[in-house]
Amino acid sequence: MSHVLRTEGLNKRFGGIVVCDDVNLTIAGGEILGLIGPNGAGKTSLFNLISGVLRPDSGTIRLNGKAVNGEPLYRRARLGVARTWQHMLLFRSMTVMENMLVAPRHYPGESILRVTVGRAGVRSAERTARERAHAILDRMALDGTADMPVTDLPFGQQKLIGLARALMNDGPLLLLDEPMAGVEGAAYETMQRVVRQEAESGRAICVVEHNVSFIRDLCSRAVFMINGRILQDGPVEELISSTTLTELYFGA
Amino acid sequence: MEYLGTIGILIAIYIILAASYNLVIGYGGLATVAHPIFFAIGAYVSGLLAIHTTLPPPVSVLVGSGCAMLASLLLAASALRVSGDYLLIASLGFQLGLLQLIKNLAFTGGPGGLGGIPATIVGPSRTPVYLAIAVVLAIATVFAIRALVRGPYGRAITAMRDEELAFSALGRNAMSMKLVIFAIGCGIAGIAGGIYTFYFQYISPDQFEVLQSAAILTMVVLGGMGTAFGPVVGAVLLLAIPQAITFLQLPPSIMAPMQGIIFTLLVLVFLFLRPAGILGDTGRRRRSAGLT
Repeated sequence: MSHVLRTEGLNKRFGGIVVCDDVNLTIAGGEILGLIGPNGAGKTSLFNLISGVLRPDSGTIRLNGKAVNGEPLYRRARLGVARTWQHMLLFRSMTVMENMLVAPRHYPGESILRVTVGRAGVRSAERTARERAHAILDRMALDGTADMPVTDLPFGQQKLIGLARALMNDGPLLLLDEPMAGVEGAAYETMQRVVRQEAESGRAICVVEHNVSFIRDLCSRAVFMINGRILQDGPVEELISSTTLTELYFGA
Repeated sequence: MEYLGTIGILIAIYIILAASYNLVIGYGGLATVAHPIFFAIGAYVSGLLAIHTTLPPPVSVLVGSGCAMLASLLLAASALRVSGDYLLIASLGFQLGLLQLIKNLAFTGGPGGLGGIPATIVGPSRTPVYLAIAVVLAIATVFAIRALVRGPYGRAITAMRDEELAFSALGRNAMSMKLVIFAIGCGIAGIAGGIYTFYFQYISPDQFEVLQSAAILTMVVLGGMGTAFGPVVGAVLLLAIPQAITFLQLPPSIMAPMQGIIFTLLVLVFLFLRPAGILGDTGRRRRSAGLT
């Protein structure tokens, strides 16, 4: 089986605090991996290492077999690492559509040359991006919100927009940081459906989530982390039913 | 008429300065105070070229602007690498340091300033021609910046200012965008410096002190930071008011402090009544100006 993501001996510490301790993780295309563990276990730090927000002290991160350690954050996104944030980090002064349009892997609008002398190319890229954005919003039944200021949406819908914006990146890897925190009702159903569809389309997905039923419904495999270490890697049911892990999780 | 023409040229030059500063600080969110030093680089380089070479004036102005751009890249590339906040203090040091250098070098004329810049246009049409050039350039600057920030580029700038981390994680190179915005803004300030030099034929280091930074910042804030026409309103207002009160025929002992008092009052009144500036809006536009 070919792995979309493979980390080898990943280490990271901040002074005396170890946030990542010899982490070896693999995710295959089409797989939804659950990443669970108590607060401070190093789950988000692992996402930050994979997406390039942080540089590891040692170890290798491979995307489709190719080491991406040296690539900065923005270039990893272009290589196909898409992610969401626990606190969404939406562009708050912009509309939903504007949020979406900044997000394609290759966006010509950031190049001063292309927006001044390559206008035709920019226009066609904009058109393509707009179509893609509408299609994604439509799947979430949020197309009607396209021209609304993103801060006018209720919390659950903002969470969905965070996912929708990440989906503008059509790369092979998707990292979801607590997508369900604070989300309920219709948004919950939508989130689950869309994440499942993305996996079916062949993406490798990793979800950090405290909502155990969400993990149980979506993932077949999960990883339990504590103190920057992977303690157990296996079928979800096995992890959830483990009393040792439950005790660790609740700090008993 | 000559007098009004000169004021018109000065206003146009400051519109160019305020508009380009607004691009950097208002739209780009890059906190710098060193804008006058890029104005100075443009002024000195084109002035020195005019004195020592036979280059046509437009070329001298462009070379001056290019030098301002290069200097801005040097400052931004080193300061922004550390962190965005570092730019404020680094720009202040850059401004003071470079100004000291200008004051202490022989070929820049030292503290006495650089004079003897040859007149390129002579005769009665001189002021009207310069006025036309300055006004056209001011209009071009304002509308070019407006066009830039309205399109996809402006969207990217706004996104970067809103959430730089998320912006980068979407595949956007925030650092290179900041450098480009900074270089464009400072390059435009250099052009303003070139026009100033060729019209007034004399420049002195005192004109580019930190007080100038405050004046240009006040124009941008008063007019409306992050709005296309705010800097125009700010520049006109701040340059026209001192001229207007000279018509009151007050004795100089009252006149001098009057200007300071009026400026301070204006800033205070605006801070309370319209913190987003005259053209600034509350709500969405205000948020995009980075004021909330």
